Amino acid sequence: MSVDRIIERAVSEGRRKLHEHEAMAVLREYGLPVPEVALARSPEEAVEAARRIGFPVVLKIVSPSIVHKSDVGGVVLGLETEEQVAEAYTRILSSVEKHVPDAEIVGVLVQKMVPKGLEVIVGATRDPIFDAVVMFGLGGIFVEVLKDVSFRVTPVSREEAYEMLSEIKASRLLDGYRGMPPRDKEALVDIIVKVSRLMDEVKEIRELDMNPVMSYDKGAAVADARIIVGGRS
Amino acid sequence: MENRGTSDIEVFFKPRSIAVVGASPTPGRLGYVVIQRLLNRYKRERIYPVNPKYGEVLGLKCYRSVEEIPEPLDLAVILVPAPMVPGVVEACVRKGVRGIIIISGGFAETGPEGARLEERVREAIRGTGTRVIGPNCIGVLDLHGGMDTFFLPEEKMMRPPPGEIAIISQSGALLSAMLDWAAYMGIGVSKAVSYGNKVDVDDVDMLQYLAQDPETRVIVVYVEGLKPGRGKAFIETVRRVVREKPVIVLKGGRTARGAVAAISHTAALAGSYKVFRAALRQAGAIEAADVVDVFDLAKALTMQPPARGNRVAVITNAGGPGVMATDALESLGLRVPLFSEELQARLREMFPPFYSVKNPVDVTGGGSNEDYRRAIEVVVRSGEVDALLVVALIHPPGFDAGLADIIANTTRGTGLPVVAMSFGGGETSVLRRKLEKSGIPVYETVERAARALWALYRYGRVLGVAR
Repeated sequence: MSVDRIIERAVSEGRRKLHEHEAMAVLREYGLPVPEVALARSPEEAVEAARRIGFPVVLKIVSPSIVHKSDVGGVVLGLETEEQVAEAYTRILSSVEKHVPDAEIVGVLVQKMVPKGLEVIVGATRDPIFDAVVMFGLGGIFVEVLKDVSFRVTPVSREEAYEMLSEIKASRLLDGYRGMPPRDKEALVDIIVKVSRLMDEVKEIRELDMNPVMSYDKGAAVADARIIVGGRS
Repeated sequence: MENRGTSDIEVFFKPRSIAVVGASPTPGRLGYVVIQRLLNRYKRERIYPVNPKYGEVLGLKCYRSVEEIPEPLDLAVILVPAPMVPGVVEACVRKGVRGIIIISGGFAETGPEGARLEERVREAIRGTGTRVIGPNCIGVLDLHGGMDTFFLPEEKMMRPPPGEIAIISQSGALLSAMLDWAAYMGIGVSKAVSYGNKVDVDDVDMLQYLAQDPETRVIVVYVEGLKPGRGKAFIETVRRVVREKPVIVLKGGRTARGAVAAISHTAALAGSYKVFRAALRQAGAIEAADVVDVFDLAKALTMQPPARGNRVAVITNAGGPGVMATDALESLGLRVPLFSEELQARLREMFPPFYSVKNPVDVTGGGSNEDYRRAIEVVVRSGEVDALLVVALIHPPGFDAGLADIIANTTRGTGLPVVAMSFGGGETSVLRRKLEKSGIPVYETVERAARALWALYRYGRVLGVAR
């Protein structure tokens, strides 16, 4: 489905937050390195999707009523077999049912498990003065506690994207540290520049978070994505 | 926002005829002071007081309205209370006035009622060739012999000498203080503008105009906020302007606005100041920390060339300040590299063994003016540095104010930017004056001198001449 159609549908259903599979589809359209995903509505569909996508997979609840999926048992990682997938599907639904009894459930997302890497965050928002701005930072405590992030106003050039990587205080981690390999900066720059283009071309997107993006010595992968559309936040 | 170019801004600085609406015959009143000041600069027949209550102001015929003035009118300065302003603006438009400066306050800054008045002003000039500065501002000052609508008398706000620094400011009060201080410090200024609520002319317009102004070499901008949606145009404009001359920005309102009801991490972290800083960096502007820093940086950028790299030599006659200068430079991202063995050997040959020759070069309190000459001559030719920071504390017997000429002569024509730090009263004040007369900016602390070199390096990067 095209980006416009996805956003139109969300808006017509009165949703500001895209479902995660929709967000992933939007990002894929703009060439971002997102894993394969499928929405399942039964354990059988989940198994079928996992078989098609290839193991290991992750299952995540898709529900507009739930903001923090893992807090309600809505995420199960590292599923290696069909049995595990079917079991995880039921487990997620019953756990969500217990925590949020009247949650609206869209389904369960089956996502190719992306390997662990250095966790970074790439996001975008709209500033009242400068319009679209893109943010980069390292994941976890770096962004949440230390707020160690850098910004650029769109359109972000490759050179400016490189500056964003070197501007954060923890940038040395990207160069390799204590036996950890140097990260593929080119791949991160690529993500930043593509997000910049997405924000400039799709004005309906108000906020975007890719958190985390796994950064490897070769390449990068978006592990989780969130897109907010419509009116001002 | 329509863009009507910059040629129409010229009228605010070099008008051929000026009406002062709200003229007053009472000494001390705004409508009196403004005319009094204009009389210092303009021929009597170019100034038209307007106020239906009076027949004559300061010996000039006073008109009932701008439309009664028999000659064509370039500029109107409006001082009347806010509720009357929209009507006056409409009359000015009918009269074909090209520029209007609205000094009066009582507009959007006071609430919805004032905002409606402001909207009426905007409406009155829409689609016309008339441009407006203000409201709620103190107007313009052209120190190369043009306009002066600043209503503050000389004894309250000294006018700086004509110079090369232009200042545009959202705050009139801050601008007055900056100009008064610049005058006191003997720092020259080309033009100053306070544009208040920016109903029409804003930062973007002024930057475009000043970029082409032959009397301006450095532009200083004090800004609190930009108009919504005007950010990208601001970046684009600054980006173009900095290719011609440096832009120093002082930002007011730096604390985070807080992203109310932000759903994503990114929105919550994107405080307006963080984004503004990123934008300034992208645009190639140089951000000043405070008003004193503004003039420190502006002084360096008008007097010295941009640095072609970040390697700095520190030449000193005092150990402590040499160490502090190194700290200050390194913490700003500049480098104080250890000199090569070869360069160290050359310096060691000419100096007693207790001088330090590694960088900083320390000729010690036992040295002399002459030692500075020899050290600087060798260092500037070494190719090992891109800039010089000279610490000159001339209190010991071997040094005097003659050091100013030595620093100037040994660095002239090298293409390397030089800044000096000197601290003290007495003869030091002579040294400082002589240095600045020779085009070498002097600072009272090594930290401020280091900031000046940082700005010269940043500008080198912006121009693409620095590594």
